[in-house]
Amino acid sequence: MNDFRLNRRDFIKRAGVATAAAAFPLSVVELAFGAAQDKFTFAHISDAHIQHVKGTEFVRNWDRGLIRAVAEANLLTPKPDFVMFGGDLAQLGTKEELDHGAEMLSRLRHKTYCVMGEHDYYLDLGEYWSKLFGPHYYSFDHKGVHFVVLNSILTYDEWTYNRWPTARQRMLEMAGLDNPNGSPFMVGEKQREWLRADLARVAKTTPIVLFSHSPIQKLYKGWNFWTEDAEQVQALLKPFPTVTVIYGHVHQIQYNQVGNITFHSVMATAWPWPYPQSYAQAEHAMPKLTVPMNRADPFFERDATGWQFIDMDTGRVMMDYNLYNNTSRVVAYNPATRQPEDRVYQDPSKRIPPQDHY
Amino acid sequence: MKAITVTATLGAVLLAGTIIGFLAQADEFTKKDQERWQNEYMAVVQKGRALWTSAELGTKGVACAQCHPNAANTHPETYPKFQQQLGRVIALREMINWCIQQPLEGKPLAFDDPKMIALESYIAYERRGVRMDPGKH
Amino acid sequence: MIKPRWMAPLIGVQLLFIATAPGVEAAQKVPLGLPPLPERATQAASPEKVALGKKLFEETRFSATRQVSCATCHDAGKAFTDSPLSVSEGIRQLKGTRNAPTVINAVYFETMFWDGRSPSLEDQALHPFVNPVEMGLKDHDPILAIVRKDADYARAFDQVFGKRGPAVTMAEVTDAIAAFERTIISGGSPFDCYYFGGEEDALTPAQKRGLKLFVNEGRCVSCHVIEQTQALFTDNRFHNVGVGITAIQQDVPALAVEFLKTRATLAEVDIQVLSDKRTSELGRLAVTRLFDDIGSFKTPTLRNIAVTAPYMHDGSLKTLRDVVVHYNNGGVTNEKDRVNDFLSGGIRPLHLTEAQIDDLVAFMESLTSPEYVQPAQL
Repeated sequence: MNDFRLNRRDFIKRAGVATAAAAFPLSVVELAFGAAQDKFTFAHISDAHIQHVKGTEFVRNWDRGLIRAVAEANLLTPKPDFVMFGGDLAQLGTKEELDHGAEMLSRLRHKTYCVMGEHDYYLDLGEYWSKLFGPHYYSFDHKGVHFVVLNSILTYDEWTYNRWPTARQRMLEMAGLDNPNGSPFMVGEKQREWLRADLARVAKTTPIVLFSHSPIQKLYKGWNFWTEDAEQVQALLKPFPTVTVIYGHVHQIQYNQVGNITFHSVMATAWPWPYPQSYAQAEHAMPKLTVPMNRADPFFERDATGWQFIDMDTGRVMMDYNLYNNTSRVVAYNPATRQPEDRVYQDPSKRIPPQDHY
Repeated sequence: MKAITVTATLGAVLLAGTIIGFLAQADEFTKKDQERWQNEYMAVVQKGRALWTSAELGTKGVACAQCHPNAANTHPETYPKFQQQLGRVIALREMINWCIQQPLEGKPLAFDDPKMIALESYIAYERRGVRMDPGKH
Repeated sequence: MIKPRWMAPLIGVQLLFIATAPGVEAAQKVPLGLPPLPERATQAASPEKVALGKKLFEETRFSATRQVSCATCHDAGKAFTDSPLSVSEGIRQLKGTRNAPTVINAVYFETMFWDGRSPSLEDQALHPFVNPVEMGLKDHDPILAIVRKDADYARAFDQVFGKRGPAVTMAEVTDAIAAFERTIISGGSPFDCYYFGGEEDALTPAQKRGLKLFVNEGRCVSCHVIEQTQALFTDNRFHNVGVGITAIQQDVPALAVEFLKTRATLAEVDIQVLSDKRTSELGRLAVTRLFDDIGSFKTPTLRNIAVTAPYMHDGSLKTLRDVVVHYNNGGVTNEKDRVNDFLSGGIRPLHLTEAQIDDLVAFMESLTSPEYVQPAQL
């Protein structure tokens, strides 16, 4: 163990596993296929939940999570092409929280895009958000990949406009993950129409990456790990052979393959959530493919939180979950099995005790 | 002498028991009793749920439900157990206090505080049906 | 628990006999409060090997100036440190960047050095000999020359290892040194007597309050581990607690990238971290190259902490009170300093009162084993 003079190739050969561990300088792992110009990286930070206490005081725990993610993302060498923020910047959608969060995000030395989360939306229906970050849904092209950002945390009009006497009450009701008075997330008809028109202009061979806050799947309704019109959105994506959906909201590692669509969740920087299997009264449809993240030690406030960087190669995603206090997890699309797999732990015999959630 | 005293005492007790039994039948609880007592319990569970989602246990506005929706991942069935964060074997309410003091930055509750009982009631209720597994990490 | 009373007069330390696994030779006895020795160490070394290791440990001829030995910085009379030096001084009083950790109970560490760059006691022993600011040798050859040719050493190596001449290598040298170091264990402190020995009066009221704080408001126990039947006071993990790195945090990004570009070997890292203070502050990052380890250092044991001042990896905190104040501030020595971005998630402001800080200090003073109590303490 004396000589660790390794370059990345040696490490990869030695480990027998192609992994871009959470180390830097970051170099793009050379996968077996694809030309050099199809490769690029971007970072994804999500679910900061900046929470206002009073005056100029914010909950220190969540602040530190975002601070650390931004500081580490700034260390990436070579620089990622951009950073995506996955939603829930604020906890209760207040101007103070959004401003404080935006100020911390502004320290990123990379171009930043944002996804809307329910905690950002339900106080003023995204009005202040638009002033800070622009449109709630949009698309852009980058190095041959078509990126789409949806606002997938909308819900039924009746709940949004008529149910609650005040905006604050509405926000508080949606803020409780397990609140029986909540309402299921959806993309909604207007955005689905927009998406249909947007995708009509895209060649079928173009890889698609769709950013969303809710999972565009129906995983567990009790905690809104749910998108009510998931099937309809998935149907719009069906014609494209290479599609990845990256979503936040769940504060845990999840990944899945549904037909042609690869799904990856992202970690929260703020706090982890239990897996639905930890709720004894729940019936859920969590993907069996997912190897769970390690259980958190609540003493270490950053345990089971983190951020991620993504290697893109010919439109396929390799996601490196950069976990604090834990070995990072790399989940990548495996062309042989045509599904995302963890590079180390997918085989049940390789699992470790902290991955056992009950 | 001893045998006679014992027999006499025994006889007296049996007689008294029979008389009392005739009057009160105190050990025969009814379905209505059970329902009533279950509702008493659920009233406290509701209080626990209210505390669970409120910010009143801490000082920074953080609630238990933020990390433990439906009290998931609290594992009441594993207590008492060795709790790494306290370095010794503890009962559930000690861990509740740890959470109140640490992530919530609040004041610990007395072990017999009605709020503590309510929290434990809610936690246990959300975990109903799960087998006891004391000591499990 | 067996407490053979007739043993009590012996050094004043209570000994606990640990049951051995079947097939393993009688294990070394461990004092009250210590866990069983790690697997590698359960076989007690022969007294001859331990004596040889001690002799090597104290050998000043294994340095460029023939004046520096392991014992120079790990002095048995100073709880195996060089207290009160902040950072150690090698040949010609050359200063390093790090505070000498104690050898006492080092057998329980899973890695050696503040940044864990060495996986074992044997490996650790190799490095100071060839570090320019420690013993300053170019390589290990002068050591081998001595142990092969010196009559006493040659006899000892032959007796212990059955080897002579060129068959004696650094493997044997470090084996003996490590065997000696493994015998340097201590427990049976007032805390141990109270917590594991059931002696209610072993701690003062202040120390008892301090113990409660240690486990609760002080947030110490998660890293400085106390468990139900034993207490190592370390978790063998690495944490950024905001010492040293706070002052250079603006430079950390550039420093880190620059360091990693040089792709140093472990031997080169060993030299760099002791010669350049700024690189030293990167901590375990220098070893693992992981984001998570920026500014991280190994949790030291707190056993005998009262006699191993000054504190932290750079010796920058002079007293135990300074240490508690640093943690009370939430990971900065000066309250007004900006907390570094990479601070461990376990560190946060504690809001302790002055009295509580005093109680924590009092508790830590109860961790000194009887054989290391210094006159000034009594």
